[in-house]
Amino acid sequence: MAKDDKPPPPGRVDGVVLTPEQKRRRRARSIAIASVLGFLVLLFYVVTIVKLGPSVLNRPL
Amino acid sequence: MSDASVSMNESTTATDMAGGMASPGDYIALLKPRVMSLVVFTALVGLVRAPDHVHPVIAFTAILCIAVGAGAAGALNMWWDADIDAIMSRTRRRPIPSGRVTPREALAFGLTLSGFSVVVLGLLVNVLSAALLAFTIFFYVVIYTMWLKRSTPQNIVIGGAAGAFPPMVAWAAASGSVSLESLLLVAIIFFWTPPHFWALALYRADDYARAGVPMLPVTAGANETRRQILLYTLFLVPLAFSPVLLGYAGIAYGVVSAVTGLGMVWLAISVYRTRTGEAAVKAARRLFGFSILYLFLLFATLLVEAFIPGI
Repeated sequence: MAKDDKPPPPGRVDGVVLTPEQKRRRRARSIAIASVLGFLVLLFYVVTIVKLGPSVLNRPL
Repeated sequence: MSDASVSMNESTTATDMAGGMASPGDYIALLKPRVMSLVVFTALVGLVRAPDHVHPVIAFTAILCIAVGAGAAGALNMWWDADIDAIMSRTRRRPIPSGRVTPREALAFGLTLSGFSVVVLGLLVNVLSAALLAFTIFFYVVIYTMWLKRSTPQNIVIGGAAGAFPPMVAWAAASGSVSLESLLLVAIIFFWTPPHFWALALYRADDYARAGVPMLPVTAGANETRRQILLYTLFLVPLAFSPVLLGYAGIAYGVVSAVTGLGMVWLAISVYRTRTGEAAVKAARRLFGFSILYLFLLFATLLVEAFIPGI
């Protein structure tokens, strides 16, 4: 086992520790990104229907 | 093991780390929402004035892409100008100088949105409008922000073209072409920009001087700026009236353009004649405020005339 892989001593946390405010902001950013992605999926879906119209169903099976 | 990697393995609070501090609101602030609202409004006018019918969903997509592209250009502008934004009182609370967003985050955000807005506009609307949007972003970020802004007092004159393009991009999105009428809309915003910005620069000259931005009042003095404001206004007002003479606009636009144009000339003369003290600052502030109303009324009337022809 490499030196780096040792578990941290009890009571000590490795890495970056976020404050509650930073966790709240990270969560808000994640929700915003998810909302934008969801909106883009919806936009591409609707524009596809609008541009192709009934032809959207006309495809070789 | 290096000291740096040792320190990364120890407990670190996130306040010690750069980045990751921003809220979604900070990213929205990077998009310059107030500038974006003007872009959306003028683009909307370009879209509805275009001769071809466009499906509302496609129209919405076009306006959205133009708005996001303008916002992305604003974010890249803030990334590049973070050093002078930190000096100027008007801009020091922006997300980068205040430390809420790192320059790298703003750069990544601006580049991503620029790419997305252009590609989506090209895929969902048409290639011409996407190319014009890409050129607009390039013009604003590279030509204006990186080159002209810090090198010439003509910065906002030439750079103003970027702010003037959105109605033409929207026109191209609706019709797939660019016509004289759309170029006229561009010209009105282009010649409106200098008197608008120089009125602001007159009472913010100290700020610009401290930041080393060669705005006209800093390099040529306040009186020369007042003269240029008056000259540009005297050219702008007949230009803004010309859509009536060319048959592109109706009587309502003619009346609004003439009355508000006289207001612009009156206020520009007032700025030219009032040169000292608090009265001079007040005159410049009045012209700056009225110039926004002037452009809004011109484009709002064009918008109304598109829906109610013959007024």
